[in-house]
Amino acid sequence: MATTTATITLSSADIADNALSISNTATLYTAGTDTGITETTGLSRKKFATASEFILLDHGLAGSQMADVTADKSCKVYIKNMNERGDGTKYAAIRINSIEIGRLYGGDWTFFPWSGGNNKDVDIQTYDASGADATETTLEYTVFFE
Amino acid sequence: MATTTATLTLSSADLLTDNLSLSATMNLYKGGTTATGLDELNYHRALIPTGTNFVLISESAALNTNASNYVYIINKNTDVTDYVVVSIRSEVIGRLYAGDWMFIPYSDATTATAGTDDPSGDDSDIAIQANTHDCIIEYAMFHDGETLLTHTAS
Repeated sequence: MATTTATITLSSADIADNALSISNTATLYTAGTDTGITETTGLSRKKFATASEFILLDHGLAGSQMADVTADKSCKVYIKNMNERGDGTKYAAIRINSIEIGRLYGGDWTFFPWSGGNNKDVDIQTYDASGADATETTLEYTVFFE
Repeated sequence: MATTTATLTLSSADLLTDNLSLSATMNLYKGGTTATGLDELNYHRALIPTGTNFVLISESAALNTNASNYVYIINKNTDVTDYVVVSIRSEVIGRLYAGDWMFIPYSDATTATAGTDDPSGDDSDIAIQANTHDCIIEYAMFHDGETLLTHTAS
């Protein structure tokens, strides 16, 4: 087995009267065990320039790595929008089964467990202040799974 | 404005042939701004009883209007078989087993239909359900304003 860790640090000296400092490390295990996850897509980098929603992680692609992801297995997803923030109006919407989770502005990242399953792909669509936008966007992402 | 940073470090010495070492840092800014930091925060610790799907973060018109919010959730249990299922609207995101955490942007995206339990018409609550055992979780939301409810004496 492998030992893979994910550490988050949230910090602010001025969001509250006292300084905020949250730090936690998770070891990435297979579901319900203390056995380390041994599979990953590796770090991927994707450029795209389309205003349409597209599938980033395709559970429905038969034989693909993501087809192995199901609710009773462990899976962690990391995605980062590598674009510059600019004026702060351009973002990549992150969706599961076309339900929007949130928006990654330039420089933002996210790390979340993913249950996968039929039609539960991770989808992306980019926007600017006036709507869907085809500005070239670069994402980096990796998936750890069993 | 406040300056808040979120840093992720992914590392492994033996998952791949070579070391894995990835680090990413972001500032938590208000949407539509070049560099204005979010300056509102909720931070909770809660016991989630097993068996019921509870609303963890309730949708609101203000969260949607200012759609640049960030949510952190960690399962503080220690038994590796204990997990919570985190979902948004009707969609399961995934399971957080003991010790697992997640950090997501949260836009509280809208749909058109409002209801008595869904005043802004978006129904994008973040919900959580404990399985196997009750789970202690901690969660934080960095945001740009929530809808405050008018007090009604009952």
